[in-house]
Amino acid sequence: MEDFEPNIIGFLCNWCSYAGADLAGTSRIQYSHNVKVIRVMCSGRVNPMFVINALQQGADGVLIGGCHPGDCHYQHGNYLARRRISVMKKLLEFMGINPERVKMAWVSAAEGRKFADVVDEVTEEIRKLGPNTKIRRKNEW
Amino acid sequence: MVDQKKLVEVAKETLARKDVKYIIGYKKGSYGFQTSAAFAYTPKDVEEFIFTPLCNKNLAKYPLKEEKLPLKRGEEEDKRKIGIVVKGCDSRAIVQIIQENGMKREEVVLIGIPCPGVIDQKEIEKRFPNQSEITEIDEINDEYVFTVEGKEHKIPKQELLAEVCKTCGYPNPVLYDVMIGEEVEVNPKAEYEGIKKLEEATLENRWEYWEKQFQRCIRCYACREACPLCYCSTCMADLLEPQWIRRSVNLSENTAWNIMRAYHLAGRCVGCGACENACPMDIPLMELNKKLGEEVKEMFEYTPGLDIDAKPLLGSFNPDDPEEFIK
Repeated sequence: MEDFEPNIIGFLCNWCSYAGADLAGTSRIQYSHNVKVIRVMCSGRVNPMFVINALQQGADGVLIGGCHPGDCHYQHGNYLARRRISVMKKLLEFMGINPERVKMAWVSAAEGRKFADVVDEVTEEIRKLGPNTKIRRKNEW
Repeated sequence: MVDQKKLVEVAKETLARKDVKYIIGYKKGSYGFQTSAAFAYTPKDVEEFIFTPLCNKNLAKYPLKEEKLPLKRGEEEDKRKIGIVVKGCDSRAIVQIIQENGMKREEVVLIGIPCPGVIDQKEIEKRFPNQSEITEIDEINDEYVFTVEGKEHKIPKQELLAEVCKTCGYPNPVLYDVMIGEEVEVNPKAEYEGIKKLEEATLENRWEYWEKQFQRCIRCYACREACPLCYCSTCMADLLEPQWIRRSVNLSENTAWNIMRAYHLAGRCVGCGACENACPMDIPLMELNKKLGEEVKEMFEYTPGLDIDAKPLLGSFNPDDPEEFIK
């Protein structure tokens, strides 16, 4: 398990988290390389099925980054995302899929340091959970 | 029990109204313990209407599934209303559909029936597997009385009552135009069987349970077709571009489908049990729906299908929603 490198998909909102990641890069902050970032225009754009599809296609965890409450570029997209993801996590938990594989974070464009910390933290937590085997798609032919 | 004569009488009166096109109700099925939906256009059709403890189908979906042929030149759209016979759960489904702008309140006339609970069709078919004749069931003093192969059976109500009806908090229609008979008392069981056992189990055991269930799923989508709230004209599961879930039947895709189905009913499911009743593989789908319903009620204090002016749960928000899980 020690050399297991988790595969994490990050859905980052264009206006805050993605800019935060950018800032972390331009500030030359060192952080884990496990998160593969997909830029979305808003965390409210993240259909909960994106999360399921990511887990199916081999991700060990999913990170969703949005603006802080009240700061959404589209007024309230992050509030909607928060509701959706909290319901999805409850469903996953009831089905026996570890809800901790789905992470959410509020990162603003000025928080490059926080972004690096969040990624490190999430990577460590997913590393502890081990590889995702439960709903992963298998190529059986 | 509901007075059959009164039902026919009220249905006839409703059908006689100029602004009513037809009435959807229940009639005898073609065999065994089945009942089917009846579409009454004439007073003679209405004579067939029944309401027995076997009427477990949800009729709320039929107005949405009506085929609308293109109009001929000069022809005008038939804007008359559709009458529906509704139990508690059907009326809640209609409220939910109206709330989501799936239909308008003035498009339907609702004949409400206070529902004493319906029979778990799977259970009764398991007990009498060879019954092919049409069977009529009477409810007398908390017992179901019916004849199978010349022998009269009396079975206590609680043995055959569907699990969803035991926990039903709204047996009386919440929205109706005419009500038949007296309102029934509400006395629901607090716990839905099966959920508690799963809640106490560990994550691994829960997955073991659901893995076994989902492995059996044949993806016939009967649950979707039966559900009064799965009325999207194109379902995400049928789309090829983008293809949300693959069509192959294997554990991964079956799980994804079942997650999708349950999730789309979060904060919308009215708990009629139509999905589970329709499932040919006996997957306990209502456990997922009920559990999500409970969670939604706990987190957001929201119960679906009660108020036509309420906002849909996942389309609205409250700044104070729980967010402990967010970093």
